[in-house]
Amino acid sequence: MHEMSIALEVCRIAETRLTPEALPRLLTVGIVVGDDAGVEPSNLQFCLDALLAQPPFGGATAKIARQPGDELRVDYLEVDE
Amino acid sequence: MTVRVIDVRESVMARNNEIARSVRERIESEGVLALNLVSSPGAGKTTLLEKTLDALGDEMAIAIVTGDVQTQNDADRLARHTSSLVQAVVTGGACHLDALQVDKALEAIDLSRTDLLFIENVGNLVCPAAWDLGEHAKVVLFSVTEGEDKPLKYPRMFREARHAVMTKIDLLPYLPFDLPRAMGYAREVNPDLEILLTSATTGQGMDDWIAFLRREVSHRSNRPAPSLG
Repeated sequence: MHEMSIALEVCRIAETRLTPEALPRLLTVGIVVGDDAGVEPSNLQFCLDALLAQPPFGGATAKIARQPGDELRVDYLEVDE
Repeated sequence: MTVRVIDVRESVMARNNEIARSVRERIESEGVLALNLVSSPGAGKTTLLEKTLDALGDEMAIAIVTGDVQTQNDADRLARHTSSLVQAVVTGGACHLDALQVDKALEAIDLSRTDLLFIENVGNLVCPAAWDLGEHAKVVLFSVTEGEDKPLKYPRMFREARHAVMTKIDLLPYLPFDLPRAMGYAREVNPDLEILLTSATTGQGMDDWIAFLRREVSHRSNRPAPSLG
């Protein structure tokens, strides 16, 4: 579904920003979802929870922040150093 | 535990949009007009394309990429109306086409011999609005068997579209559908929306649709105009 496509792309972006060794130590993925982005946040949360629980990730948490407009972006990553 | 915060600020659509830009550059360099047809399921995208192929197929080279969640039924239907390749994209559950799927589908299409490219999106008024496929314009189909307030319920799609085609208008005498109200809602959401009224079944309004396509193709084409005689 739509949110799964979005969630897969979020994970792909995270993978491009971290080394393979750092991926299991990813703690948080911060995402901004605009009110008009055409994305259902609870569905996106469900998809991300499922994907981030699987390797190469190690159970990171997705934190979705809402804002007006149609923005849809990966805002930040938190990694355990 | 030491936590490092990495500032990312990357659009989730960035990769799709980059591929869409590349698709758009290819079709523009070949002088091809590309239209992305979007609608709710059953609004008549495939039927409109069948009639369009019948009307214009001998006059210009039309290529089609058609997306469906399952089955190649639409591609099979369209293939009966053209000798050109109809590229089917089965999304396997996904509710929209993305630019990468279109980019791959175009590998089998000779754009240098194409005047008009239709991308028939998956029937869905929500998700396809968010995905740029490299098209020149989205054309939203809106059938009179739907509610008049579809533009208000799905504003992003009607805002993203440059043209709207009202379909199945031959059924208006049998339905309580208020056409002026529906058109008013569409223009409330997008004042610049060009609206055409059509029935692919009776042919009503199809001349306007065909004239629109001829005009748009001639604006884009970098090849000599086809002979109409």
